[in-house]
Amino acid sequence: MKDNIVITGIGVVSSIGIGKDAFWQALEEGKSGVKPVTLFDTSKLRVKMGTEISDFKPEEILGSKGLRNLDRATKLLLCAGKLALDDAGLEINPEDAGRAGISVGTTVGSLWSISEFDKSALRDGPHFVNPAEFPNTVINSPPSQLAIRLKSKGPCATISSGFTSSLDAVKYGIDLIRNKRAQIVLAGGVEEFCEQTYLGFYKVNLLAGVKGPELSCPFDKRRNGVIFGEGSAVLVLESQESAQKRGARIYARILGYGTSFYPYAINKYEPQGKGLKKAMKFALEDAGLSAENIDYICAAANSTEEADLIETEVIKEVFAKYAKTILVSSTKSMLGETFSAAGALAVAATIGAINKDFIPPTINYAQKDPACDLNYVPNKSSKEKINKAAVNAFGPNGSNSCLVVSKI
Amino acid sequence: MKRRVAVTGLGVVTSIGIGKEEFWKNLIQGKSGISKVESFDVSGYSRSFGGEIKNFQPLKFITERETKRMGRASQLAIAATELAFKDTKADAGHLDPDKSAVIIGTTMGEANIFEILNKAWLEEGLEKVDPFLVGRTTANLLSVNLGIHYNLGGINMVIPTACAAANYAIGYGYDLIREGRIDFAIAGGADAFSRIAFTGFARLYAMSADICQPFDKNRKGMLVGEGAAILILEPLEEAKKSGKRIYAEILGCGLSCDAHHMTIPSEDGITRCMQNALKETGVKPEEVSYISAHGTGTVQNDLNECIAIKNVFGEHTKKVAVSSIKSMLGHCMGAASGIEAATCCMAVSEDILPPTINYRTPDPDCDIDCVPNEARRVKVNIALNNAYAFGGNNTSVVFKKYEG
Repeated sequence: MKDNIVITGIGVVSSIGIGKDAFWQALEEGKSGVKPVTLFDTSKLRVKMGTEISDFKPEEILGSKGLRNLDRATKLLLCAGKLALDDAGLEINPEDAGRAGISVGTTVGSLWSISEFDKSALRDGPHFVNPAEFPNTVINSPPSQLAIRLKSKGPCATISSGFTSSLDAVKYGIDLIRNKRAQIVLAGGVEEFCEQTYLGFYKVNLLAGVKGPELSCPFDKRRNGVIFGEGSAVLVLESQESAQKRGARIYARILGYGTSFYPYAINKYEPQGKGLKKAMKFALEDAGLSAENIDYICAAANSTEEADLIETEVIKEVFAKYAKTILVSSTKSMLGETFSAAGALAVAATIGAINKDFIPPTINYAQKDPACDLNYVPNKSSKEKINKAAVNAFGPNGSNSCLVVSKI
Repeated sequence: MKRRVAVTGLGVVTSIGIGKEEFWKNLIQGKSGISKVESFDVSGYSRSFGGEIKNFQPLKFITERETKRMGRASQLAIAATELAFKDTKADAGHLDPDKSAVIIGTTMGEANIFEILNKAWLEEGLEKVDPFLVGRTTANLLSVNLGIHYNLGGINMVIPTACAAANYAIGYGYDLIREGRIDFAIAGGADAFSRIAFTGFARLYAMSADICQPFDKNRKGMLVGEGAAILILEPLEEAKKSGKRIYAEILGCGLSCDAHHMTIPSEDGITRCMQNALKETGVKPEEVSYISAHGTGTVQNDLNECIAIKNVFGEHTKKVAVSSIKSMLGHCMGAASGIEAATCCMAVSEDILPPTINYRTPDPDCDIDCVPNEARRVKVNIALNNAYAFGGNNTSVVFKKYEG
């Protein structure tokens, strides 16, 4: 990647901490965000857990005005966006509002809003739906509301590519800067905790707790599915030149990105991870690095039997003799599977690792799976100075992406 | 080195024609695709017209098995892609998967599967919700289904920026080819007729009771439509070498966000969008022959769009032809700007402008040349494709005649 794009602001709203400092501290402590679901009734289901953000009070971050008609996904993103902008020491002024862009990964926007609007029309009749809730049914609603809230008038894009959405949104944001359509871009992703998505994951047998313990335990022999979760992370992207000009603190540089869709089947992991392997190779090539330059891999492993094994195998192929020494951990052991938000949260976590000299652990690791035999940083974070890291995202529909970041 | 980007194939699936030939013939004849809505019961609504595609036969494009595992939006997208492949005489099997992209815009994604699930959930309870269908609801499946159908890897994503979505997808495809990341893009948009969209626009009182009359003084609102359009994008030099038909060259695109209101468009946002498009492409206002308007037929949209056009084009405003094909198709949501992009390509290629039909009474506030009721044969050098969306996500893509 020839563009000199750096990250100068981080906003995180997660089940283990709100704001980047709380988030990083929780990652270092190996805190779990998993708890019993409270937002809806799970009594008829065989699973009960999730990573809800139970202490989420958007008014504390956004003020109390203008929140009434916003859904949860939108509020999560608005908070992460506001935190990121504040963290970057930025204000979007009317004069240069057209130079500020937004690029957000979300696959269903607010599924809750779409479903409730439709059900209200079916139940009460089309005349009785709340017209103020109709705009929430479009998938681009959360990013657009962020633009309205921040008065950001440059490009505003929404990217839907399932599990890789927010990494792909970061790349779209980079491209906005390289094509001179924006000077700064708020890039990230969001996923809300709601009954519809939870049931969706449940119905397609992705959730842990049916075939084994209800745990998010990536790479562990007991893994049997994901703990579904929510969250949002937003990164402020700009060129190094722009950051230096305004005297901004630079957290990390984005060195490379790779993506490779592998056509296989809906809701099934392609067992050999051919797409992920390509995505990682492309990202390394784009960064102009070889495998031995990477110190840490923030894995996408989400505690499903297939995904964790695939990622392990791919790392072994791509990193060859370095695979056994490279540090690999899955923050999803703490955050659960936050779907469209996962990539951005993983980038935020990796920047914490780079800046605070620690590797987030893979918690709930107790039983070794002989097929998963890399250094997963089990249960306790380790103190390490790292320079370059790869962040993975991939999912069962064939999307695979990888982002390489480095210390400045 | 930046490469030039050509449009080498067009595939359209609309209420007035399936395939470029039928679509274009009917479009320049000013044929309307509006009819009584039949895909769901509209007896509880005060509105009953829309732009459904009544004669779409998915089995012409996909297998019966595929029809069961895909929503209508994916089916429309695959049909449009198949038509585009045929048009450009390419087939997916010969593409380099590492140098290809599938980028699809949509507003509602696979909403009709979702609507089936909601109905079942409400009427029969959660246990009856079909798990097979649950995994088939997410918006990204539009591009995933295309990738799987053609066994095509590469870059694969959906850009769901509502009613400007296909323009975003085409714009990103253009970026990727220009910078050499890919050599072949399948870019466009698809949306199926959606109960949710129909309900919402009816409830916002934004929908006309019968016809769509953009820029007319007595315009009564928009109509919901459906459709899909796919543009095949390739590096211009390569297309030229292989002797392919080049419909148009894409010069660039302008993007902006209103940052104003979710549903009320702002003249400021769309003014900046067109300005960004002209600035990026170096095209002067007087060089633009045609604007394919967003032109939904609502009082507010058309007024704002006309003000914005005057802001950008100043004294040249009267010399620019501006028409809205939504007068014929209704608003095909995320597909709309894709169908309109295909229209721009045909306009610069054939030197014909499609009309704005149903135009009866001039509106002094919309005193642009809207090509009223009759198509026009005129030299079309540069066309600007405007698309605006819920959330104020605006795009204008610039197409230029290719003269060898």
